[in-house]
Formats: sequence, structure tokens, C-alpha cells
Amino acid sequence: MGGKRKKCESEERDGEEVDGGDPSNSNKRQILPSMIKNKEKRSAVHAILKHQKKLEKRKKAKARDAAEKRALELGEEPPPKKTPRTIENTREFDETVCKPDDEELFAGNDADEFSSILKRECTPKILITTCRFNSTRGPAFISELLSVIPNAHFYKRGTYDLKKIVEYAKNKNFTSIIVVHTNRREPDALLIIGLPDGPTAYFKLSKLVLRKDIKNHGNPTAHKPELVLTNFTTRLGHRIGRLIQALFPQDPIFCGRRVVTFHNQRDFIFFRHHRYIFENRESKQGDSKVKKSKGTKGENIPQEKVVARLQECGPRFTLKLISLQHGTFDTKGGEFEWVHKPEMDTSRRRFFL
Amino acid sequence: MPRTSALECPGCPSIRALTFDVLGFVKVTEARGKQGGVPKVVERWGEPDSSKCVLAASIDDRKPDPLLAVARKNGLIEVLSPLNGDLRVSISNVGDAGLQSEDNSIVGLHLFRKQMSDLSSRSCTLLTCTTKGNASVRSIEVPKSPVDSINSGSSTTWNVCAAGNILCSKVDGNENYALFGGKGVEVNVWDLEKCTKLWTAKSPAKNSLGIFTPTWFTSATFLNKDDHRKFVAGTYSHQVRLYDISAQRRPVISFDFRESPIKAVTEDLDGHTIYVGNGSGDLASFDIRTGKLLGCFLGKCSGSIRSIARHPELSVIGSCGLDCYLRFWDTNTRQLLSAVFLKQHLTNVIFDSNFDGEEPVGSSADLQSNETQDVDEIQDGDEEVLPVKRKKAPKENRASKKLKPKKKCKKLKGEIADDAS
Repeated sequence: MGGKRKKCESEERDGEEVDGGDPSNSNKRQILPSMIKNKEKRSAVHAILKHQKKLEKRKKAKARDAAEKRALELGEEPPPKKTPRTIENTREFDETVCKPDDEELFAGNDADEFSSILKRECTPKILITTCRFNSTRGPAFISELLSVIPNAHFYKRGTYDLKKIVEYAKNKNFTSIIVVHTNRREPDALLIIGLPDGPTAYFKLSKLVLRKDIKNHGNPTAHKPELVLTNFTTRLGHRIGRLIQALFPQDPIFCGRRVVTFHNQRDFIFFRHHRYIFENRESKQGDSKVKKSKGTKGENIPQEKVVARLQECGPRFTLKLISLQHGTFDTKGGEFEWVHKPEMDTSRRRFFL
Repeated sequence: MPRTSALECPGCPSIRALTFDVLGFVKVTEARGKQGGVPKVVERWGEPDSSKCVLAASIDDRKPDPLLAVARKNGLIEVLSPLNGDLRVSISNVGDAGLQSEDNSIVGLHLFRKQMSDLSSRSCTLLTCTTKGNASVRSIEVPKSPVDSINSGSSTTWNVCAAGNILCSKVDGNENYALFGGKGVEVNVWDLEKCTKLWTAKSPAKNSLGIFTPTWFTSATFLNKDDHRKFVAGTYSHQVRLYDISAQRRPVISFDFRESPIKAVTEDLDGHTIYVGNGSGDLASFDIRTGKLLGCFLGKCSGSIRSIARHPELSVIGSCGLDCYLRFWDTNTRQLLSAVFLKQHLTNVIFDSNFDGEEPVGSSADLQSNETQDVDEIQDGDEEVLPVKRKKAPKENRASKKLKPKKKCKKLKGEIADDAS
């Protein structure tokens, strides 16, 4: 607190010194409530400012609404709705974002480690194992992963080295290994190793909610699920996306109505598992009539409308990529394709996936 | 407004760099203009084919007829023209060794700059080395038109190692000696004319805990152009070692660099600075005389560095690797000059020193002298302009600490190095 105050003072003094040079700047500074040292005074000024802002905002919203209404009455196009500025849509320009017309990208895809699975030349076969010591939530999570990923096999870790397990899995024609790492009885990391020579991705795992903790959860069937990967835009993201895609069989059974989602947002990958259903529902006549009378978009509502409903099956978790390694697991002598380094954090609007 | 932080890259002087990637592409990146040119990919040679993944490359950038040798994964060695990418000769490495190329791929390739005396001027000499240790020197006639596998010249083959895998090979500046090293193979130096082994290194002693680190060399380079006796090797256990043939068989100096295997080592022209790149994307320069870290190259380099190249005239190095970027750095300021995204995992980078930034000249015979002058001018310009930029940060430091001059100087350097790292 004291330090902060001192800093304030020095800033003020600086401001006074500069005063002659840039008066507008110093004026602006004087208004800021954070410069006021007396708390009561500060909060009073702050309250006034906040109130003014609120009024302004309300005025703006009113004006906007009025303009829209007037446009509708006159039969004109209403003014276009503004899109809010979010961190994602003001993302820093990244030249590694994949473009759909990039033939080199497709050539690279054809040549990469996952192409044989994704072209359905071989079926994925997954080995799931744990870290050396695991209990409670770890096994529970694994049993749910086994129900999510078809053709996944759990093997006890025992005291084997991971490199030995990789060798074993290679010989048994597994295509991927998933290692669930638990710390203090809570799963906290996920390691996905592509086989035989695919990359190794290390994810931080957080916000794990198991199936039984989800309200109104459904129980998944044994059908092969559909897979949704969203927002994997850059080269690195694309590669991670393909790595995840290679875990699942490429021929989903649609009558199972099961969908597994990996959604990337600001470099966090959200995992969700749902069952969906399309239901034909009698649309209420009265409702649509009211809408028709209002003259909005009521005309083409059918008598029966299809409603999609979702039921979450769990588990639910969030992944964050820590590193992507070239080749199979080798912490000591591995070559990294991507590792996070502090010098890369230049902005909160910079994303890698 | 969104606060963005655009990376300020000062741009590079006129350079032309060739990069090689895992899909077998050769990409040419050029920066034009005296100062502040932005490098761009100007040409791309080859078809995407993962079996044509480039493993090693070497350039002979003589003035009249430059040549570029490229070793591919499928055992082919192609000699190209680095000016337009025309295929001059392509020879197969599989046939004469009689071995499968799958586990016996080429790791080292060197295109000799000097002419072997008994051959005509239209030939080139190649040294190749495979993983299993089959080294061979062969001369090839370069025909006018690309014809497949002409191997009219002489060739000598010998075996470098009995066991283990060769991972690095290098030829010294005078091209009389070559060194080989690898997994389970101590660095050894060979006389290329007599094909005899001159010298083998001895592995370092066990450490204080009695633990012996297995031999595993991943990269090596000769320190000086005219001196074949000193060379630097990087190991898998993140050590950089200086060997001196004339002194002893164990390393003269050995120091650690970070925590992942050293993947690339390149020497500077001055003979005592080396550039070291490792598996997690750290690039640094060392003074090999003392083993002190001069400073790291910081530039958001996130993937393993596969290759570093030093420009023969300008104070620029290029680095490339698994993060698909080709980066140019200033060697004096250790500042990132610019980064080019090349879309594939890169394996090698090579500078074409004949490039002068002007439009390509058709017949360069009479323009040669001009070219060299140009290059000199550029270099001078560099030295005049760049130091100003470089000195900015340290000067401020110095001003505040100038109360005790002289003595602080050494400390300061250390601090700067620390800051950089």
C-alpha cells in the first residue's frame, strides 16, 4: 500500500514537472480518481464518474433502440448490429493460420504421422495408462475415458518406464497412448503419444467434472461417436487437432447420436461429450399467430418443428497445451516442435492454437 | 483499442538463403535492399514427397558455376544449381553400398570447393557419410543436361566406425580432413587424401558420482577455417566440448548448455565464437576460448533448432528448425532481424554468398568485381548503422553506473549476458 502511494506521489510530481509541456495530459491525470489519496473523496469522485458513465450508456442504448424502431416503421433495413470486440476477434495477426487454399498444407497433411489413420487405412487402437501412483479420481476418469474413446484399452502402469510401454505398444500395433497423470489424487495432466513415430503432446488438465457429478447426465452408448473439433486454426492447432482426431475412429455411427467435442478457445481446449436428439414438437398455434400479427418472421414456421436437444454425458474437462514433442516420449533428449516460453507472452491477444 | 505488440524487426541486409524441409522442398528466401529489407520466399523447387525429405545439403558458391548438393531420404543425392534449381546430376547412394537406405540414410554431405587436380573443370567432388558409417568420396561429371546416375568419376569408400550410428560429419576449411561422430562413436578425424584415421577422441572420465555418460555426439564443427586441429562438438547430454588434436584426446573445454540435446553448432568467422542451438529452441553464442556464454538469441523461437548457418560476409546468422520459421539474427547485437514462416519442418539452411541484392545478373563474368565491392559496401554500411541500435540499451545502463568506471565493465557484460539469458 505504502509503496503504491509513493509511486502515485512520484507520478504526480512527474506530472507537475512535465506540466508546461503537455497541459491536456496533466488535466486528464487530475481527473482520475485513483490519483486522489483521500479515500472518501476518491470514492465520491469515482461514484460520480460511474454514474455519468451509466447515464451515457443508457442514453446510447436508447438512441440505438429508437433508430432501430424508426427504421422498422419506415420499412428500411435496421442499422447493422455491432459485434462486440472480444479478445478472440481482436487476436493478434498470426501468419501461421492455415488457409484453405494452401496446397503445401495438404501435402504436409498427406505426409504426416496421422494420415494413415485419417485416411481410414488403419483403425485407431488406444492404450490408456496412468502414472505410477494413482487412486480415486484417476481410475474413475480413466473408466469414463474408456467409454468415450472406442477401441481403448486400459493397461496397469505397474513400475514400467514409459519408454518401455511405448515400445510394447508399438509391437502390439497400438496407434496412440494416453497417459493420465494424477497429482494428489486429482488428474492434472494428459500425455498423448502418437505411435509409432508420431508426436507427443503434453496437456495440462483442469476443471475435471466426472459423469456422476453432472446433473441430469446421460449414459453413453457403445456406438462410435461423432467428433467436433472447432477453432484449431494455426499450423500448431491443426496438428493438435489431427492428433486428437487420430484417437477416434473415422467412421462414426450416426444413429448412436453421440458427439464428442473438442472446442478450442484462447488456447484452452474444452472437452464435452453429449447425446443429442431431434424431436418433432407440435408448435403452439397461438404463439405463431401472435408472431404473425406482429409481422416479424412468423410466416414460415411449420406446424411441426424440429427441436434439437442435448444431454451431457460427461466427463467434462479443459486441456491446455504445454509442449509438443517430435517423436515419441523422451523428456531428456527430445526435440520439441513447440514449447511455451515466457518470452512468447507478449500480449494477451496472442494465441498459438 | 486492442493493445497489440507488433514485433519490431529491423529487417535484414541483402541476403539469399536456401532452406530445405521434410517434404523435399527447397525454398529460396531473399531480402533485397541495402537496409531494412523484408525477406520473402521467392522460389520453391521440388514436389511434395515425404520420401524426398532432405537430410543434408552443401553448397559450393564459387562465382562462375555454383553448385548445390542435396541428400534425400530415399538415398538420392542431387546436384542442383542454386541459382534456378535446375537438376544437374542425380546419383543414387543405395546401389554402390549395397545396403538398405531405410536405416542407413545419409547424415553428412559435403561438396568440395577445391578442384581435384586430375579431373576436368566440369566435375564436382562429394563426400557422403551414412548412419552406419560408410563414408565415400566420389567425383561426378556434371553434364550439360540432367541425366540420371552418371557416375563416371572415381570413388573411394571406407568405413568410419565399426559400431554405433554416425550423426554428424564435417569437413574442414581446407578440405583435407573430415570429422565424424555420433551415437556410440567418439569423434574421429580422418585424412581424406589417404583415407586414414588421424585421431580419435577419448570419452571424458566418470563424474564424481561414478556415472559415465554414454557417448552421443549430435553436432560438430571445425573452429577455424585453416586449422583442422580444433573443433567443437555438441552432445546429446547437452554438453558442448572443445577438442584440440594437438593437445589431448579428452576435451579441452566442456560446458553445459541448458537441458536439451545440442542440435546444431556453427562457428563464427573470427574463430572463437560459436553458435549453439538445442532441442528446445534455445540459441546462444559462446566464446569458446573461455567457455563463457556471450548471450542468447531471443525471438520467440519455440521449436528445436536443426541448423544454423553463418553468412560468409555479413554479420548475420540464420537458424531454422521444427517451428517452421527461418530466422535471421544479427551476430553483434544478437537481435532478431526477421523471421520467415516456411510452413514445413525445416532441416537445413544455407546462405548463398554471391547474392548482392540487385536484380539477378545474367552473365556475371564482368560484373564480378562490382559484386564484391557491393558486398563490401553493404558490410560497411552495416557496421556504421547497426552499432547505434545495439548500443542503446547498454548505454543507459552504463550512464547510471558510470560512477565506478573500468572495473564495472566486466561485470556489466556478465549482467547483460544474464539479462539476455
